[in-house]
Amino acid sequence: MADAAVHHADHGHHTSTGLSNNKLGMWLFLGSECLLFGGLISTYMIYRGRVGEGPRPGNVFDIPFTSVSSFVLLMSSLTMVLAVAAAQKRDDRGTTLWLTVTGLLGATFVGGQVYEFTAMYNEGLGFTTSLFGSAFYTLTGFHGVHVTVGVIMLLSLVGIIKRSRVPGDKAEVVELVGLYWHFVDVVWIIIFTLVYLIPT
Amino acid sequence: MIRHSNKRNAVRMSKTVRRISAAAAGLSAVALLAGCAKNAPQDTWQPKGPNAQKIDDLQKPVFAIAGIVGIIVFAAIGYALFKFKDRGQPIPEQTHGKPVLEIGMTILPAVILAGIGIFTFQTIFDLAKTDDTEMVINVTGQQWWWEYDYPVQEQYGITDPIITSGQLVIPSGTKVLLRETSRDVIHSYWIPALNGKRDAVPGRVHTLRLEADEPGIYAGQCTEFCGLSHAVMRMETVALSKDDFAAWVKGQLSLAASPTEGSLAQEGESVFLNQCVRCHQVNGLKKADGSPAIAAPEDNVWSGAAPNLTHLMSRNTFAGASWNLLTKQCRKDVWEASSEEFGKRYLAGVTEECLNQTDLRRWLRNAPAMKPMYADPTKLEETGGKYRGMPNLGLSEDDIDKLVAYLATLK
Amino acid sequence: MAIIERPVPVGVPDIPAPATPTRTFGALRRPVATTGWKSWVFTVDHKKLGIMYGAVAMFFFIVGGIEAVLIRLQLAAPNGKVLSADVYNQMFTMHATTMVFLFVMPMAAAFANYFVPLQIGARDVAFPRINAFGFWTLVGGGIIVNLSWFFGGAADGGWFMYAPNSGPVFSPSNGVDFWALGLQITGIASLTGAVNLIVTVLNMRAPGMSLMKMPVFTWLQLVVQFLLLFAIPVITVALFLLSFQRSFGATFFDVSAGADPLLWQHLFWIFGHPEVYILVLPSFGIISEVLPVFSKKPLFGYPFVVFSGAAIGFVGWGVWAHHMFASGLGPVSVAVFSIATMAIAVPTGVKIVNWTMTIWGGKLNFTAAMHFAIGLVVLFTIGGLSGVTHAVAPSDTQQTDTYYIVAHFHYVLFGGAIFGLFAGFYYWWPKMFGKQLNERLGKANFWLMVIGMNMTFGPMHMIGLQGQPRRMYVWTEARAGEGFFNLAFWNRVASIGSLVLSIGVLLFLINVVKTARSKQVAPLDPWDARTLEWMTTSPPKEHNFDAIPTVHHLDEFFHRKYAQDPVTHEIKQVATAEDIMRDQEANADKHIHMPSPSYWPIILAGGLPVIALGVIYAIPVAIVGAAIVVLAMYGWSLEPSTAPDTDFDPPASGDGTKELAPLG
Repeated sequence: MADAAVHHADHGHHTSTGLSNNKLGMWLFLGSECLLFGGLISTYMIYRGRVGEGPRPGNVFDIPFTSVSSFVLLMSSLTMVLAVAAAQKRDDRGTTLWLTVTGLLGATFVGGQVYEFTAMYNEGLGFTTSLFGSAFYTLTGFHGVHVTVGVIMLLSLVGIIKRSRVPGDKAEVVELVGLYWHFVDVVWIIIFTLVYLIPT
Repeated sequence: MIRHSNKRNAVRMSKTVRRISAAAAGLSAVALLAGCAKNAPQDTWQPKGPNAQKIDDLQKPVFAIAGIVGIIVFAAIGYALFKFKDRGQPIPEQTHGKPVLEIGMTILPAVILAGIGIFTFQTIFDLAKTDDTEMVINVTGQQWWWEYDYPVQEQYGITDPIITSGQLVIPSGTKVLLRETSRDVIHSYWIPALNGKRDAVPGRVHTLRLEADEPGIYAGQCTEFCGLSHAVMRMETVALSKDDFAAWVKGQLSLAASPTEGSLAQEGESVFLNQCVRCHQVNGLKKADGSPAIAAPEDNVWSGAAPNLTHLMSRNTFAGASWNLLTKQCRKDVWEASSEEFGKRYLAGVTEECLNQTDLRRWLRNAPAMKPMYADPTKLEETGGKYRGMPNLGLSEDDIDKLVAYLATLK
Repeated sequence: MAIIERPVPVGVPDIPAPATPTRTFGALRRPVATTGWKSWVFTVDHKKLGIMYGAVAMFFFIVGGIEAVLIRLQLAAPNGKVLSADVYNQMFTMHATTMVFLFVMPMAAAFANYFVPLQIGARDVAFPRINAFGFWTLVGGGIIVNLSWFFGGAADGGWFMYAPNSGPVFSPSNGVDFWALGLQITGIASLTGAVNLIVTVLNMRAPGMSLMKMPVFTWLQLVVQFLLLFAIPVITVALFLLSFQRSFGATFFDVSAGADPLLWQHLFWIFGHPEVYILVLPSFGIISEVLPVFSKKPLFGYPFVVFSGAAIGFVGWGVWAHHMFASGLGPVSVAVFSIATMAIAVPTGVKIVNWTMTIWGGKLNFTAAMHFAIGLVVLFTIGGLSGVTHAVAPSDTQQTDTYYIVAHFHYVLFGGAIFGLFAGFYYWWPKMFGKQLNERLGKANFWLMVIGMNMTFGPMHMIGLQGQPRRMYVWTEARAGEGFFNLAFWNRVASIGSLVLSIGVLLFLINVVKTARSKQVAPLDPWDARTLEWMTTSPPKEHNFDAIPTVHHLDEFFHRKYAQDPVTHEIKQVATAEDIMRDQEANADKHIHMPSPSYWPIILAGGLPVIALGVIYAIPVAIVGAAIVVLAMYGWSLEPSTAPDTDFDPPASGDGTKELAPLG
């Protein structure tokens, strides 16, 4: 009885499913995010051919450039895995190192996206130019915001770990951020394939 | 023990249910019929054409089945409430259900619905057919009126496109296909006596079959919320016998003649040229220099259209079919005419003595007061100064007298 | 103050205890008030939050009700003059928005918050601070949506807000902006609530409570939370597209740029149809508790009710286009969605059968709660059957957008959802407040509501089938038909009915006030109930249960009170609620630790409306709002959810607070 008396958010033990509350919560949140991106991707797929007077997708995409930045983002998933592994070994130095690297790779991707947006804008594709423009910037913009939020989480986590101020189980917090990060990566793979690689 | 008495209850119950349900079915049928309005113009249960008939044939049995199911359920609940009231009986057995019964009660409605489904399926495809069309009319919705545009169809004498509004005129016994679209927001075309509704969506063309068995007027109403004056966006479909329809087409193809020299109507024509022709086209109207007067609604109205008034007095409504051009009595004569008489009465149009001057003058005096239209000049920022309906033109009573006289000549 | 402990997990002993600053984020200490307004505003207690959800929802019920009465006054006679066209359109938009998003959903959330943890034998929800955040977010969203009344007019495009009529040209006031951003904010509340409750139900059940021993209310709430989890992001996308169009010039619904207005309809109804089940399933859950209690029988076919609930949850995703039968989808889509819609009638029908069979052979006690529960079964059946008539797509093309639909969904949502909520009020009031609502007033309340509701919405079947479309600020006698029972007559009846209905609701409010003033305390187990929430004091202690019960049966509480005599098969009482309570107290857990209150949820929630106002009026204001949100997030994440003693102001003391109990 005493076991069951203690129900607490920070302690994942003794839950009915065996999965910690935080982790289950994160999975559910990501499930919900799937529908968010599903809606945005559908909107884009419906509207991508509707360019009006503006440039067509093929004219503004710089696929080699985006491939490189996609590769950078993919690599960050690898470094995230290393960060989680280090955290589970309670290797604070390794954890902060790999988290920092992941964050920097993510930041590189976001920087690349800013560059890409600027280039497209200069080629005449604004947010209000056409349905394609509105849908493209909305979809990739939402993803970019997700990456940015991830980068902020990663770097904040580094700071918090260094000051030893992590509330709760450190390894789990790193793992949770990792789950989010991998999700954002997977979404990018889908976006990259559907938006950039499949011709209109 | 408990199970035994349950069974006995069930037997007794089924008899009671039968008796109660028969009585209730009878009562509710009577109540329903007695409670209905008579001659409601938009009654969905009074089909006047084959398409609406098809829907009606499908829905009446569905209503009946739903009614019977409802009565059985209510009888069962009512009986249980009465029978199992706490009168000090022992606590019942804590049973958790009877799977057989429940599976049965799952399958039974599924089977009923499957049956309904088959007929539904068939009707959906029947009503979507377009290959048997005999006549095509383009229908365009805009805030808050309908425009009808008849493409050239020589077999009906339509040698030039006809553009009209308010009342859609069709030959009876003819399979008409409406091609609907919209110039601004979504509207929905609905003449309940002839067919169900179909949305008119900007950027898309939707089709709707329409056919009337007999000559007559069939009322309808826009049924997709379309902004401020959605409530007063009405329409009527007028079915004429084939001969009468040909006569109507002939009338519509004629040009407006100039009023007699020196008449009040002629003065009205110049008011019209000053004020109204900015938006409203009258085919055949000439400017003072003899050149044709061409309306430019696209410069003044957001939707880019305003009703063509060439044959205003051939229709007996105005302003989105929401007000009558005919006085009450004259309108009644047309509406209530027998199907043989109807064509003659309708084609007579709006005569001098039948003209509903009150509403027409009220409209000319201040249209947005009768029908809210976002016509407030201070609220036109988003539309770049274009109106979303007819503004208050600030006409003098004198001008109104002249205009009414002129409009009355647009037969 | 909760009994506080600092838990040291065993099993992984070399993890150092979390280091906690004496001051959270160097800014705020923990709120500690146990009385007064601070104990409510900063609470993370699921019960207090539940009550606050209920109070806010009730406030909006009254607002939405006033809007409804104004609508009916306008329509009482032809060419009504009570409201202008503009105000009328705002009124029906806001009536629906308020009732759906600000009354029924929060009220269902109130019950879920309060009773789901109690029913599964938990001490709180999984994420108590997120729970508080959700509540304050809802308040913020509700304020934003309604603020528009005072800033140039409310949204006027109908709650379905079809494009392009919702665009800047056709709805030039800021109403739609307030509406979209406000609902976006309430969406956040629903989403966090969904994650929270799902985790709670899946992870925090009392020992022995397998999923199939869970009370039906909790089950159906679980289904609802899953529906929310997946439906909310879809409306989020739609609302973003709308806001981007209105505020930043995006072209999503601009037909001249080639947009397809049907995109909005699909997005809206993919959310909107599951939403219908989100509204009605909690009430199904409530009466699935009430009917067995007052029939002294378990719910008939528990697994069928559970699975049909889940089936409704699934199939509910595949029927959205039945709201679009007249939109011009093409016959194939129409046929498919028509059949799918009929299919969903089957699990719904199963529920009606199960409820009927639950009372069949029972020992019925007609309390006010039971009245409302039976009212739901009957009225919902009517709504369900009229629903079948428009699952038949061709006949729906005659019915859609007429008053027949208004009649249908008010039978479903008023007769279904709201009657269920009222059943919940009368059933659970003694549990929540320790006092019983007056039963006689309750029954009067019920009858007035039944009569009023049937007078208001019953005639609408007729009005609709005889051709009166909905959403019209005036109707005309020219289309009202002839005879004594013409549509004018029925419109008048409906308007009078809405007044009767209002008096019914007023009677409930009077009952609440009367009960609050009364000194009579409710018995421990006034209804001879069956589920765990009754196995504690009324109102429950902050930690809910002195000892977490171990569950052996569905309807555990009933089985602790009653047993079947092995010889005579008679069911006899073997223990009273008081006996069981005494037993629990005797075996009370020594170390109970409860989450601590926090300032951060309300601060974080407070930043969101500021962002919304900024988006509408001035971007710098939005940046201020965003800064509040970011700061609050840092404060929140650095604050352990259970405060150490030093984090209190003044520091907490006392023996109960310093004990270290092993978690293992």
